[in-house]
Amino acid sequence: MMTDTYLTFLAYSTELEQESQERYLEIAESMATHGNDEVAGFFHRMADEAGNHLAEVSLLCEGAELPPIKAWEFQWPDAEPPETTSYEALHYRMSLHDAMTLALANERAAEQFYRDYAHNSTDAEVINTANEFADEEKSHAQALELMLEDVPVVSELAREEDDPPMMPE
Amino acid sequence: MNESLAMKPRDYKSGIKPIWCPGCGHFSVLNAITKAAAACGLAKDDTVLVSGIGCSSRLPAYVDSYGFHGVHGRGLAVAQGLKVARPDLTVIALGGDGDGFSIGGNHFMHACRRNVNITYIAMDNEVYGMTKGQASPTSPEDWEGSKLTPHGPGVRPFKPAAMALASGAPWIARGYSGNPNQIARLLAEAMAFPGFSFLHVLSQCITFCPQQTDWKAIVSDFEEEPLSRADEAAALFLSEDGFKTGLLYREPRAIWPPEAAPAEDAKLVLRDLASVFQR
Repeated sequence: MMTDTYLTFLAYSTELEQESQERYLEIAESMATHGNDEVAGFFHRMADEAGNHLAEVSLLCEGAELPPIKAWEFQWPDAEPPETTSYEALHYRMSLHDAMTLALANERAAEQFYRDYAHNSTDAEVINTANEFADEEKSHAQALELMLEDVPVVSELAREEDDPPMMPE
Repeated sequence: MNESLAMKPRDYKSGIKPIWCPGCGHFSVLNAITKAAAACGLAKDDTVLVSGIGCSSRLPAYVDSYGFHGVHGRGLAVAQGLKVARPDLTVIALGGDGDGFSIGGNHFMHACRRNVNITYIAMDNEVYGMTKGQASPTSPEDWEGSKLTPHGPGVRPFKPAAMALASGAPWIARGYSGNPNQIARLLAEAMAFPGFSFLHVLSQCITFCPQQTDWKAIVSDFEEEPLSRADEAAALFLSEDGFKTGLLYREPRAIWPPEAAPAEDAKLVLRDLASVFQR
């Protein structure tokens, strides 16, 4: 029998991972539309990662009825869930290094969120699962840190403007 | 349970991929619309999005409902006509700052005055993005980002909230694209409001106005209860920096038309109209 606090935690986890996956996918598709295939490919991989985590959360939710929380009723540390990429941080000419740095910040924010959730809970099941999720986010961050070492530092907007912005009719 | 109540936000997306630039604030509005639709259990067949022309006006194509991508600045005219003919529908008009405050500025004022029961979302990025970055009615006076106005447009920007209030809009709110959940909440409230609801969204264009990435640090919440006195709202709208977000003003009044046309009459009108186009 799942406690209410655990079900609420699962609702938060589901929302966090789902928003993360959908935003990564949305960004990947728009980057591809605007010709930044390298960054598009990276965000597609991040969407897959978030999708894997979402599938894990969904498994835990099987047979449970999560509390019906509207999108704007969740209490996040910022305006959106911690692993969701902010729109204003993007640009169609952003480099792979910029994109990976952004994703790294997302993973760290998610780790911190889960860690804080565990810290502030008295429900043993919530504490265990939240810490597990935090460890998982930490491992994602560490993997990204390693990958970043091999990616040349290219400053934002340094990519050649080979296709000026346009909105074809 | 109503089938629509079980739908997720993504179920309201049409599957057509937006062509907007990565980082465009309009993505946020699209997501807010689908979130509000899911939370309110909107039936797709009873929902219509009507737009004008511009980057933001592409939005109806991306939502799985009825939609009309109309004539520049005339989205509000079409939306009001539709609502009067079919009061049973949820009608949302939307567009950008150029479409709504310049080309369609007259329609905007009279829609506020008329008070038909629709919602209007103005996605304001202070620039004509589709035509590659010219100054719009809301561009800052000293904005030097366009080669057409290298020293800035040199005229004071339009104040959408003040203009809406002066024209009689009974419900005025402002959102910011960095906070799609706030926009979704405001939109849900707007759709529930009986009358013309005006949702002004600060929706950044990072391609032509990269300085708008600073908006995140500038916007603030309007933490008071929505104002209901027009004189107090006027004082606010004429003195604020334009970055306060939330429901700013709410004062319900009689909607127009006073009595919604019976559905049968509306069908007859539509049939007559259809016959005109069939000639």
